[in-house]
Amino acid sequence: MGELVASASAGDVLVCVGLGSCIGLALVCRRGRACGLAHIVLPDSGGREGDRPAKFAERAVPALIGALRRHGVHAESLDAILVGGAQMFSMSTGMEIGARNEAAVRAELQRAGIPVTASATAGSVGRTVRVHVATGTVTVREAGSTEETLR
Amino acid sequence: MPNARYTDLQLDALRELANIGSGTAGTALSSLLGSTIELSVPSASALELAEAVEAAGAPEDVVWGVVVPVSGQVDATALLVIGDDDARTLCAMLGVEADTDTGRSALGEIGNIMVSSYVGALATMTGFELDLRPPESTRDMLGAVVASVLAAHSDAHELALVLDSELEVAGEACTLSFMLLPTPAGVAELLHRIGLGD
Repeated sequence: MGELVASASAGDVLVCVGLGSCIGLALVCRRGRACGLAHIVLPDSGGREGDRPAKFAERAVPALIGALRRHGVHAESLDAILVGGAQMFSMSTGMEIGARNEAAVRAELQRAGIPVTASATAGSVGRTVRVHVATGTVTVREAGSTEETLR
Repeated sequence: MPNARYTDLQLDALRELANIGSGTAGTALSSLLGSTIELSVPSASALELAEAVEAAGAPEDVVWGVVVPVSGQVDATALLVIGDDDARTLCAMLGVEADTDTGRSALGEIGNIMVSSYVGALATMTGFELDLRPPESTRDMLGAVVASVLAAHSDAHELALVLDSELEVAGEACTLSFMLLPTPAGVAELLHRIGLGD
């Protein structure tokens, strides 16, 4: 949670396990150079500092783009895949974090000019996302269900 | 320094509140099930959100989560986490099937009874007026349940105070985890009322 990783090693599989209202943001290079994944917890930091770079959407998106740039991948060649942002409980108070997370991530991606090519978001289910660096394949799994390919 | 915001004395006092609360909740559960309930010593910890989720267990395990919002003079969220097998055991003890609407409402009712006794004990000790909203239960991945409750509840606060109690149904290998998550303002109110405020 709140962490991000970028990899160009073909054997790596990047994973966010048990996403509820959090967002798993996968950025995949269309030329197959590298992939990145961030586990985003909250939409905005309200100016707070924190040592987890991906905790807040507003910082996570630029941080993940920066991590991929260090692998020689530029924002223009990236596709974004979003997973999570669910509302696990229907209570009103503050429980709409999932939708706010998704909106904040999409706004940051638009600012960076990165298209969202696939997503498995909203609803009321927990999800696990996997990014296979070798192929750029992104899969999602819901509780008690099988792996589905998003990209 | 995850505990930097609260002193050891304050955490001890909060742990004692949790102890009395979960003792009362255990008694209520015991009379509902007709079984002895064993309590472990609760923990009171101020955790970073991610640490709190990691501490809860394997994030992909499927569990039942029952949430009861607490409002009034202290705002908090009560979360009851019951493993899938444990939920089946509890429902069987009540003569209902777990994965049905009846099972779901039975688990919600267990949550309701436990939270109202826990919170009732807290209210009596502190003299606060506290209200409960109806319980809501879901069956999903542990990480998704706990992280969503904590994220909604703590928002951008860096630390969440978690009062965690384990209750075991004697002879049934059935464990329930009960968490009370007061907001930072709620913690301050509680500490102030027991004479340990800043």
